[in-house]
Amino acid sequence: MRSKFLITLSVIGLAIAGCKKNNTGNNGDNSSTQATLEQHVLTDFAANLANPNYQDIQAKAQVMNSAITTFNASPTDANLEAVRVAWKNTRAAWESCEGFLFGPVEDFNYDPTMDDWPVNKTDLDAVLASNSNLTVADIDQLGTTLKGFHAIEYVIFGVGGTQKAANVSARDKVYLASLGESLLNTTTQLRNSWDPASGNYTAQVVAAGKGSVTFTSRQAVFLALVGSMADICNEVANEKMQTPLTAQDSTLDESQFSHNSVTDFKNNITGVLNAYKCQYPGAAAGHSLRELVASKNASLDLKIQSQINTAIASFSAITTTYEKAIYTQQNQIKSVQNAIKTLQATLEGDLENFVQTNIKD
Amino acid sequence: MKKIQIIGLLTLVVFALVKCQKSAQFPAYQYDNQLSGGSTTVFDATSKAFGNSFAKLSSYDEYVHELGDKIFSQSFVTAPAPIHSGLGPIFNNTSCVSCHHNDGIGLPTAGDAQSSLLMRISLPGADVNGGPVAVPGYGLQVQDKAAYGLQPEAKVNINYTYQTYSFDDGETYDLRAPTYTLTNLYAPIAGTYLLSPRLAPPMIGLGLLEAVPESEIIANADPNDANGDGIAGRANYVYDVTTKKMQLGRFGWKANTASIITQVATAFNQDMGLTSSVLPLESSYGQSQYDNLHDDAELPDTTLNAVKFYAQTLSVPARRNTSDATIKRGEQLFILAKCATCHKQTLTTGVNVAFPAVSNQVIHPYTDMLVHNMGVGLADNRPDFKADGQSWRTAPLWGLGLFQVVNNPGYYLHDGRARTIVEAIMWHDGEAAASKAYFSHLSKSDRNAVLKFLNSL
Repeated sequence: MRSKFLITLSVIGLAIAGCKKNNTGNNGDNSSTQATLEQHVLTDFAANLANPNYQDIQAKAQVMNSAITTFNASPTDANLEAVRVAWKNTRAAWESCEGFLFGPVEDFNYDPTMDDWPVNKTDLDAVLASNSNLTVADIDQLGTTLKGFHAIEYVIFGVGGTQKAANVSARDKVYLASLGESLLNTTTQLRNSWDPASGNYTAQVVAAGKGSVTFTSRQAVFLALVGSMADICNEVANEKMQTPLTAQDSTLDESQFSHNSVTDFKNNITGVLNAYKCQYPGAAAGHSLRELVASKNASLDLKIQSQINTAIASFSAITTTYEKAIYTQQNQIKSVQNAIKTLQATLEGDLENFVQTNIKD
Repeated sequence: MKKIQIIGLLTLVVFALVKCQKSAQFPAYQYDNQLSGGSTTVFDATSKAFGNSFAKLSSYDEYVHELGDKIFSQSFVTAPAPIHSGLGPIFNNTSCVSCHHNDGIGLPTAGDAQSSLLMRISLPGADVNGGPVAVPGYGLQVQDKAAYGLQPEAKVNINYTYQTYSFDDGETYDLRAPTYTLTNLYAPIAGTYLLSPRLAPPMIGLGLLEAVPESEIIANADPNDANGDGIAGRANYVYDVTTKKMQLGRFGWKANTASIITQVATAFNQDMGLTSSVLPLESSYGQSQYDNLHDDAELPDTTLNAVKFYAQTLSVPARRNTSDATIKRGEQLFILAKCATCHKQTLTTGVNVAFPAVSNQVIHPYTDMLVHNMGVGLADNRPDFKADGQSWRTAPLWGLGLFQVVNNPGYYLHDGRARTIVEAIMWHDGEAAASKAYFSHLSKSDRNAVLKFLNSL
């Protein structure tokens, strides 16, 4: 009886999953023509991935900002840890959206404003040693290497991750509060830039080839999307991972203070997966580029999915911080890099060719 | 005739025809007019369209290009630092890409992180080489940012006045006229000084323009308007800091820079405060902001050369919809309006066995690389070698239609005052006055055809 019950449940589950499949996205329609499917993929890319991802970054930055306020009022190690966790959560949502870096995030420099690198440590130490005003307006006037994720990281983790609540000075706290608010403001601007009720870049994507100023065809959006997916692979494998590895210098790591670099890298590639499958945690799945590829070239789809999954899974071979791994796990790092480079080649080659050959509008 | 004889004869005919064609260049109509950058052209109309390397580069060249690309997008920080050290102490921006967004034209604001407008400054007169006279304590460029705790040279203020005009058919357009002033000077300047605004230009096709033979550029010059068509065109000759010689100016809004290496070294030095073997002296030398660190040259030659190679090998995107009837009509009107007299459609690069990618390419840059009098409205009234206070270099138009895709929104002209291509056209004056008038007298559908053509570039 029990097993029959389970089977029945499974069948119901399958049936529901089956139903869901046909209803994914804004306009589920099994009989979509190619053009309609392309349009659905664009609409859903904005509705089910880009907007939710940017909303999530903003929401997480809000949480971090509150955690900073709490810490500043009650500077315990536990409260500092809460800020660190909130920083990592915000960072995860941000790194994930780097899987498709095009549009306002680039046009309006939200990326360097939040995530410039490296930290200008000479100037940052000078800022903290001075007695100049540190309101949000003052932070906005500072160079991008003196604010954003990595400046916050420097304050809350410290060099080598050694920061303690007791060592965060009154001046550090003022700086931290303004840094947090400045970052939140930028994430709000970024979110609004896509929001149909505000900047509405969404309309540029959805109206591609139908009056969009930015995209004169649907193909142009797909090329921008695929190009940005390949770009982040290149950046992770050939820059973020390679630079400290070649120099054998962990101070060149992306998130050296928090030891979060490997997570950053992995979230970048997860962003590529999200872009391909039009998915984001907490949001409904949508019609995806994957569906488009699978409808015309199932083996290419399998190849891409498998290479993305392999690249993401390969990170588990790095079992220590990136700061240590560049000295002790170089072979593991190289195999991750190779997995990402393989994916990059497929995205730039097969997938871009696919778009050029099959999306003709 | 026997079969074998016929075959033999046919082979001979084919051979003879092949022989005839072998060393001659194809006539113009046999070139594909989509290929703005010759064989280096790439097919990309996305926001990344200006960021591609030449279509055919060897794997080693591609490696160097990518190395340059990395540095181009990298932020530099105040010395001493373990990596990317040497920013400032005074500067206009912290990375190449923070002005040249997406390798395209920049944002016409000053002083912000994403600002792409800088101000050249000089005293009246000419220096020993015929160039602008440096202002004591300032040099030839205003650095409006500084390392923390130091005072920038000045704050650049931009104010626009707006005026509405109309075409013959009543359609209106707005032009915004900028005025530029400096405030918060870190040190007083004695007497009158001259300012000239410069917006970060698109990075595409520089290697091809550098490869156009000087003779071909000079051949189009008509400094005294000998042919009486109202259009002159002069070559600018400038002092080059790399070769330490007077050379033909090719780059910059007034053609005041002779080579890509000088352009790159100067931008590193003046815009970012980074010294190199070409310009080993800090831009702040002799000023209160000087860092006195004795760490110059801050950039290794490999870095400088990689960025130079990157700038040299950024390709031009192909034109779109070139067979569209309206676009063809627009192109004809562009020619009839004599726009193409200065915005020359076709140039041919010289033979260069050392660098085949740029060798012997038929390109469509839509520039003559000469400077022209553009009238009082656009004048900066600041002479720069042989380019007088009303002269500007004919801006290349390749990639024009993608400005608003690469940088959303796009801006036009040397200081980004034009917000649309129509505004850019209507700012033309001086030698271009008749062409502008021709455009303004066109019917709306013909004006749209011209714009559609320009957007196909």
